[in-house]
Amino acid sequence: MRSADTINARVAFDSHRSRTMRRVWTTTLKIVLPIASIIGLWYFAIYASGLPSYVIPEPTAVLNSLIVNRALFFEHFVYTLQVALTGYVLANVIGIGLAILFVALPISRDAVMPAAISIRNVPYVIMVTVLALAMGDGFWTKVIIVTMAGFFPVLVNTYRGLKSVDPIILDRMRILDASLWNVFVRVRIPYSVPYMVAAQEITGSSSIVIAISVEWMISRSGLGYLINQSMMAYAGERVYAVALISAAFSFGAYSLIHFLGGRLNWAERKDR
Amino acid sequence: MAVNIKITNVGRRFGQLKALTNVNLEVAAGEFIAFIGPSGCGKTTLLRCVADLETVSEGEIMIGGDAPQKVRKARKLGLISQRPAVLPWKRAVDDVRFTQEVTGRAGFSPDDILSDFGLAGHEKKRPHELSGGMLQRVNCASAIAHDPELLMMDEPFSALDEMKREEMGEWFAAELQKRPRTVLFVTHHIDEAVLLSDRIVVMSPSPGRIHAIVSVDAPRPRNREFRTSPAFVETTARLRHMLFNEMRSAA
Repeated sequence: MRSADTINARVAFDSHRSRTMRRVWTTTLKIVLPIASIIGLWYFAIYASGLPSYVIPEPTAVLNSLIVNRALFFEHFVYTLQVALTGYVLANVIGIGLAILFVALPISRDAVMPAAISIRNVPYVIMVTVLALAMGDGFWTKVIIVTMAGFFPVLVNTYRGLKSVDPIILDRMRILDASLWNVFVRVRIPYSVPYMVAAQEITGSSSIVIAISVEWMISRSGLGYLINQSMMAYAGERVYAVALISAAFSFGAYSLIHFLGGRLNWAERKDR
Repeated sequence: MAVNIKITNVGRRFGQLKALTNVNLEVAAGEFIAFIGPSGCGKTTLLRCVADLETVSEGEIMIGGDAPQKVRKARKLGLISQRPAVLPWKRAVDDVRFTQEVTGRAGFSPDDILSDFGLAGHEKKRPHELSGGMLQRVNCASAIAHDPELLMMDEPFSALDEMKREEMGEWFAAELQKRPRTVLFVTHHIDEAVLLSDRIVVMSPSPGRIHAIVSVDAPRPRNREFRTSPAFVETTARLRHMLFNEMRSAA
């Protein structure tokens, strides 16, 4: 009896260990395989295309550049981060602020919405040109462009969320004579959270892409500027290094937003 | 504490549609009134006008001598909706508390009322973790948590199974026995109306109006035996005749 138990326990332990091993193995494969396949494709592209190394450098050259120029990359990365983050925060302040205003004071929607749609539809190359002429190529010019490119999804989604409250809940609030503050803070805004979270994924990645693009056009610092510089110097490995940094940055930002959004989002939490 | 209601010549139009016409009704303080009638007879509309969720097109509603808006602003109203009006992210007990926080009125103890409604052990659950019937009972608790002077119920038990429906009815009857409040109760359920009400307002559709008012002359508390008493049988038979025969021949 006792020995049977021991054997059972042993089997259980072994199967538990083998399950853990299998999980470690699959996770490793999930990480290693894409990297290996990307590097493989990369080498294949080099040999198949026969392009010069300043157009398509070897992965080792890119890695080497990342290590050698790390101080330079870091400095410009921090600058881009500041532009993107400031623009992103402002896009949210303006987007959420306007959405609340639209719901609290419906006439403001008719007044502001046409302008908001127009701003959204102006090609941002034109915005960059006009703003650069008006304000120079400083930090705030870039921030404004990032904000203008990012606020619209936040505005539209937040507004939709604030309006998505079940009418029966609004009846309840009215019967109880709830204050406007309570209706907004305790009902409308929580109802809007899933919509706001969805908007963050759009605005978050657009903030990074737009920040780099604007730097590419008008800046003297940031990752976009670095791409421009490296291109002029035929330093292909540096362009690729910046591409890797930007990709990692975007991926990190997206994951962070997704993670934080998932914690805030009551509508998604209930599925777990 | 309880308030009387005076409804005078009330009409309500939605465009061309006459939802209510020429409604006259006086409700004494502490009286339990049921509204019964086919769909489209305007019973919910009438309730919503009393609750100041809608305004009347004609006539006047006075609650304790005041306009509905004033009574609503004094937070004396409670309405149990047909569909749960609970917040999807709130735990049951927090939803009940929410009513008290918003109104600033203590009323019933959230834990007690939830356990009275058969939800002991489910206080911490969120709406998606509760069944439809349980959710509707949370809805009942939340709607009356601030202990309103005028209680309105719009088919509150229609999502409940027969046993829970009876239990809930009995809870309200007992609570009102302890301390009378004025109740307006919309239902499709004839037995339930007779069991709970002092008077039953039978309404007929297009345009929505009062067809007849039936008094239920039976002492309280009315226990389950009341369902088999001659008074109960006679009153339900009368109501059935009105709803199924008189109205059909009129239409």
